[in-house]
Amino acid sequence: MAEYVGIDLGTTLSGLAHLKPDGNPEIVPNADGERLTPSVVYFDAHEDVKLVGSAARDGGDPERTIFQIKRHMDDPEHVVKIDGKDWTPSEISALILAKLRRDCSRIVGDINEVVITVPANFNELARKCTIAAAEMAGMKVRRLVNEPTAAAVYYAHTQGVQGRVLVFDLGGGTLDVTILEVAGDQIRILTSEGARHLGGSNFDELLLDAYDDQYRKQVSAPLFNDERQRRRSLQAAEDAKKMLSKLQRVSDTIGNDTSGLARIDLSRDQFESLIKKMITRSLMLVEQALDSAKLRQSDIDHVVLVGGSTRIPKVKTMLEKFFGKQPKSCGNVDECVALGAALFAKKSARIQEVCNASYGTLAMVYNAATKEEKLMNSIVIPKNTPIPTSRTQLYQTSEDNERVIEVDITQGEDTDPKYVDVIGRITLEVPPNRPKGCEVAVTFSYDENQRVRALVVDKQSGRSREVALSYKGAGVLSDEELRRRSSHLKAMRIE
Amino acid sequence: MFKRVIQSLSKSLSRQPATPTPPKPAPAAKTVEAAPAKPQPQAAAPAAKATKSQTPEEICGITPKMSKEQIRDELKILYRRFNRAASSLDAKTRAEAELMLDAIVTVREKHLGSI
Repeated sequence: MAEYVGIDLGTTLSGLAHLKPDGNPEIVPNADGERLTPSVVYFDAHEDVKLVGSAARDGGDPERTIFQIKRHMDDPEHVVKIDGKDWTPSEISALILAKLRRDCSRIVGDINEVVITVPANFNELARKCTIAAAEMAGMKVRRLVNEPTAAAVYYAHTQGVQGRVLVFDLGGGTLDVTILEVAGDQIRILTSEGARHLGGSNFDELLLDAYDDQYRKQVSAPLFNDERQRRRSLQAAEDAKKMLSKLQRVSDTIGNDTSGLARIDLSRDQFESLIKKMITRSLMLVEQALDSAKLRQSDIDHVVLVGGSTRIPKVKTMLEKFFGKQPKSCGNVDECVALGAALFAKKSARIQEVCNASYGTLAMVYNAATKEEKLMNSIVIPKNTPIPTSRTQLYQTSEDNERVIEVDITQGEDTDPKYVDVIGRITLEVPPNRPKGCEVAVTFSYDENQRVRALVVDKQSGRSREVALSYKGAGVLSDEELRRRSSHLKAMRIE
Repeated sequence: MFKRVIQSLSKSLSRQPATPTPPKPAPAAKTVEAAPAKPQPQAAAPAAKATKSQTPEEICGITPKMSKEQIRDELKILYRRFNRAASSLDAKTRAEAELMLDAIVTVREKHLGSI
């Protein structure tokens, strides 16, 4: 049996690593002989089989092929309809995890418990869905760990660095920036900031637009008219992006059956101009991370690159210019997250993580000094609090004879309620005929898997209610559905 | 100094004066449940609504009298707010955040130089 296993469930590629007896992690190849498995699922129309990986990505009907499902893990209403059946993001992710588990078990033995990586900016729902996916695939999640944390663990293990490290993780779908401190074999996360929908696939889409523009100018017709043609063109754009990381100029011939071929010429300068705004956004995230940790550029000892998109020269030069030092690559930028997750499985006790978001409730906050009263997001657990943690904040009731206390649970650090998510509500019945101003204690607990529990206590009556958050929506499975679909998935043919 | 009075979003909204198209109140819940389609309270947010006729500077609340440092500080605040909002559970908030982030980057490149 493989004791310490880490899985990087990526937007475009997924990988599984285990810890060897000598304490070093290694990637376990899938049954197709690949070290990383494309996170793509194909639902065949003729045979009752689900293809996962390169076979799913490279062939078949695009209408029956699911790409980048990870981008929808935080959407409670997202479902994919195939042959009249609704598939939730958790279920599709479970197919990818099941393929990894089945293939890799043949090499390293049974895989029952794993550490799975998630983007630092994954919200509560997306984390819950990731755990559900693993359970459906027959694995218990020992811990969820943020991707940049896993990469940093691997970097510290292989390079033996000490001091403050900034990890710049630009993957296929998201950007994460994490600052951490390495002292001896202890790692302390200082902050993690993330940007959703800022990754390599966004660059591919911008390049695809450039391909389409050039094609239209030459042929006076669109480059693609259906999803199959669009997918082929997108693949060509992605290939061009990779070449432009090594070459100054690329030429390509592309076309379709109806309008013929056209020659596409692109330079690195053109590509960098296309992605300029994305690069600026990524730098602003770096600045935000430094602000959150109350640090300056000069306080960072090492800048570490993680994720395939950090191969883009402009990314490296931007960071070098900003920090005044050359960023270092985290070995193989595509594999280090999975490798770090396997290390994390063993070393987790020596790694201090932080709360990735602020949690609080809505309250009318009265400022006695200014006499102003305003509805605000009142934070109970601030972002970047070391975890696990539990914090309490006292509030008062607002009305006489209030029979039910309603406490909204918010996620987000903004004090303006418009810019936070209300992710749940607790209702607590209290005795009648009480004046307003009765004290209510709200306690939030945040565990090591970055899951939230809330406790509301009415101080006068002693009544209380404690709950873990649960979500509802077409894209979220109930516990009963989860059990049912888990057993269904066990019997499914996944190749 | 501060007194915090517990308020649920539905209670807060029910106290506001009626508007022609009031936002839907959150469903009454007996237990904790998700509220993906979050109603939007009428919060003061001068730089939050982007319209087609506005310049990126107007969208971001940047005035000609502001120094570079003031612009930088304002953009940092906006970026933090809307980068977080881009991960909101509410699709409308996410879409608004993307527009704002685009405006923020445009203003930054114009006034603070491109990277």
